[in-house]
Amino acid sequence: MSTDAHGNSKFLQHHYDTPAQQFGAAKLGMWLFLAQELLFFSGLFVAYGVYRSWYPDAWVVGSHLLDYRMGTANTCVLLLSSFTAVMAVRSAQTGNQKATGNFLLATIFLAGCFMVVKYFEYHHKFEVGYLPGQHFAPHGEGLVEIVAAARETGVNGVPFHLRTFFGLYFVMTGIHGLHVLVGMFVMGWMWNRNRKGEFSKRYSTPVEMTALYWHLVDIIWIFLFPLLYLID
Amino acid sequence: MTVEAEAAIHADPHHIPADADYLTYERGWKSWLTTVDHKRIGVMYLISILLAFFAGGVFALILRTELLTPGRTIMEADTYNEMFTLHGAIMVFLFIIPSIPAAIGNFVLPIMLGAKDVAFPKLNLASLYIYWVGAIFTLVAITQGHIDTGWTFYTPYSTRADNSAIWMTIGVFILGFSSILTGLNFIATVHTMRGPGMHWRRLPLFIWGTYATAVIQVLATPVLAITLALLAMEKIVGVGVFDPALGGDPVLFQHFFWFYSHPAVYIMILPGMAIVNEVIATFSRRKIFGYMFIAMSSVALALLGFLVWGHHMFVSGQSEYATMVFSALTFLVAIPSGVKIFNWLATLYQGSISLESPMLYSLAFIALFTIGGLTGLFLGTLSTDIHLHDTYFVVAHFHYVMVGGTVFGFLSGLHYWWPKITGRLYDERWARVAFSLVFIGFNVTFLSQFVLGSRGMPRRYYSYLDQFQPLHMTSSGGAYVLGVGFLVMAVMFAKSLKSGEKAGRNPWGSAGYEWQTSPRPHPHNFAEQPVFTRGPYDYHLASERELFTGTDAEWDTHVAKKAEA
Amino acid sequence: MTTESTASHSHSSPDDGEVVSHIASTRRHVIVLLGLLMFTALTVGAYNINLGDWNLAAAVIISTCKSALVVWFFMELKDDVAFNRVIFLGAVIFMGLFMAYTMNDTRYRNIVDAYNGGRIDPRTGELANGTAAGIVAQGGELGPLPTLPAGEADGEPAQE
Ligand code: HEM
Ligand SMILES: [Cu+2]
Repeated sequence: MSTDAHGNSKFLQHHYDTPAQQFGAAKLGMWLFLAQELLFFSGLFVAYGVYRSWYPDAWVVGSHLLDYRMGTANTCVLLLSSFTAVMAVRSAQTGNQKATGNFLLATIFLAGCFMVVKYFEYHHKFEVGYLPGQHFAPHGEGLVEIVAAARETGVNGVPFHLRTFFGLYFVMTGIHGLHVLVGMFVMGWMWNRNRKGEFSKRYSTPVEMTALYWHLVDIIWIFLFPLLYLID
Repeated sequence: MTVEAEAAIHADPHHIPADADYLTYERGWKSWLTTVDHKRIGVMYLISILLAFFAGGVFALILRTELLTPGRTIMEADTYNEMFTLHGAIMVFLFIIPSIPAAIGNFVLPIMLGAKDVAFPKLNLASLYIYWVGAIFTLVAITQGHIDTGWTFYTPYSTRADNSAIWMTIGVFILGFSSILTGLNFIATVHTMRGPGMHWRRLPLFIWGTYATAVIQVLATPVLAITLALLAMEKIVGVGVFDPALGGDPVLFQHFFWFYSHPAVYIMILPGMAIVNEVIATFSRRKIFGYMFIAMSSVALALLGFLVWGHHMFVSGQSEYATMVFSALTFLVAIPSGVKIFNWLATLYQGSISLESPMLYSLAFIALFTIGGLTGLFLGTLSTDIHLHDTYFVVAHFHYVMVGGTVFGFLSGLHYWWPKITGRLYDERWARVAFSLVFIGFNVTFLSQFVLGSRGMPRRYYSYLDQFQPLHMTSSGGAYVLGVGFLVMAVMFAKSLKSGEKAGRNPWGSAGYEWQTSPRPHPHNFAEQPVFTRGPYDYHLASERELFTGTDAEWDTHVAKKAEA
Repeated sequence: MTTESTASHSHSSPDDGEVVSHIASTRRHVIVLLGLLMFTALTVGAYNINLGDWNLAAAVIISTCKSALVVWFFMELKDDVAFNRVIFLGAVIFMGLFMAYTMNDTRYRNIVDAYNGGRIDPRTGELANGTAAGIVAQGGELGPLPTLPAGEADGEPAQE
């Protein structure tokens, strides 16, 4: 990276004195942003906790209506994408532009896979009427599945509050999915900047920040997965 | 300065002449809309929040006029409900929350730190734009129907209301992000942008206060965001999380809302306290008493503020265990609040006090906040709150803390930093007239509401029993006096802008750092990077020159050169 | 305060101001990934053997371990400045607080009714269904509430 007459690198913004200061600020800012994200999701987890404790039967049955194999697959996909994200950072830090680009693409691809699986899951739920709250109206196959799940879990009857379970299921996975989409978009942007050669051994901050965000999205899913799909 | 450094500065495309000032260095509205200068952003915030304050104030006067008589006076009950909702929502989300941090804080915080700008200047501008977008949504809400939920948007009012509720909640959701970004920026700035010699024990207390505020902004506001997102989904797709008919729980909405909104009252009051610190020290010409205690009490208030939200829900059907815990914790808040009051009084003691307008507002702050805080304890007591909840007593309590506290603190800061922001002085006599009107008007308006409330007048009512009329009329009369006070103040400031005497660098003779730069600061705050060698309240260490003229040497040379020419 | 000419001024970092990042080995990243996948297998395994009440605890504990791996190694909190750790931990603590206090309400609503005589359902004139006293009066224990039979599920919304 070339430097200007000031003796500073191009990437150094004028109000900072040193790259280390700029990097420290960026990282601190990012962690604050992530803290903010956690508290944003906390509302959903609190609602989950309250209603799970009130309506345990609906939660057990609801969980059995989700396909845990798809959930497992998606978990593995997201973990793998966290790995490729961290490799993209490593490549950027070691100045390997090509590998950075490829790892970013791999991460985007895996995120895409996650969304495709989600699409199929949602699609099925819409078909059989497992809709949130007021629109919850299982029919046909949907009813059969509920009865089977209830029998399997020893619950007697169709729990009224399955609608609450699916309400929260859609809100939680929906907002998480939105975060995945945003992540894909930002990684595409990073890929483009990398292609233009904006990153180097000395400056890879944006890639690092993007990866931090991506890991957080992964962490949210790490909790969502057993809480939604794996209730006994 | 070494030769190379000198050469480097002249080759630097960002180098700006030492006598430039932030207001006139660049001109034209485009330069304002694209600026990343925290001072200009602060000024734009200031104008925006003053507009919001004006709108909220008009609604307030309409409300007070309606309440002159029992029954209909000038409007229907429905309109009244809409008016108090708009008054509350605009005052809270568009005015008070951004007032001190985003407007005044943006302006002075980096200067006090000896930084050129905040850590993320573009983000700072973005947060202003986001604020504007949020404001537009709020305005649209007004045109979309009747929003009559109160500023708290409780379900089921808000889920049953018409579409204006969606617009309003989306607007507030967006405003929340503006607030989060400001907070994030301030924390990063305080951590990474401190100038040489500015270590933590030298941070001006204004910065400690805004820092503590920023922590709340970052940790609490996202919960408001998710609450409003759930509310919007409740309305749009019928998720039913807050709807008992679908197994949801409306009280859960109150938990969510107050998890944000109680800490939010500290977003409002901490910056007010932060300003009082600066003003009290300057106008007592004295080192502030108990610096570390004041700084830490701000942080303690910020953290404790998260533990008491349930005191808004004592009669909402919350579990009795929860009410007891929340009540007990509420009392703890009194400790750090008291620490501050005692330290301020101790600072005043034997200081050489001068009673200029900023000081008057700060002294009023101490008195009014004390009343507001102590009545908060009555409300935090379970047995008394059962009687006082949802009465005018609560209305009076929160106006004493929000107006008597935050708004008086804001006005104190506005008067105090006005010369730095505009480069001009204002007419002190008229400022005092305005102060007297505001102070008297405020107390007449809200003292009578304490009495009304304790006699059982419920809040948010359009009509009332005849026996309450004298007190209601008193309250309305006070509101008009208050309104006139603000009018006088507005004229006084307008006159200062137009023809006020030019201010020197340090018109109050303060030892604070922000007074050392040129009257209207350089675009990079200081023409030369300052090195801090003493604390901001060390009057015994400050030189005569620092106290009366300011020390930016390079600026001095420029002025001298100009005078010669 | 004095203003001295300082062409370069000191900040907390003692070095030349360049960014020093710790570049972890690929091997470490692979090991972490394998650990994460192993934990995933463990959660799914725990799901298939019935742990009863421990199911939730197991899920949360394993997820916490997984997140810790991600945060510590992938997000490199391990080598980060202390304050960033404080921020993260702080956020987690406040999440916990939010959850704990809210559930301190929702888990124990109306408990005092058991002593005060409970609440009457105006529709039936009997002890209200949802209150603790009502449940006790109906011979139930305090704890998870009973589920409605299938037929009533889509009828009048009622307490479970
Ligand atoms: C100093 C200690 C404080 C205590 C102990 C306290 C206590 C309380 C309590 C218990 C209530 C609920 C009353 C009820 O609805 O029955 C309340 C309401 C309120 N307080 Fe405070 N408070 C304090 C400070 C503040 C501050 C500093 C502010 C704002 C700057 C504030 C703003 C409010 C508002 C806006 C409400 C009413 C909210 C509504 O229902 O619309 N309080 N306070
Ligand atoms: Cu409160």
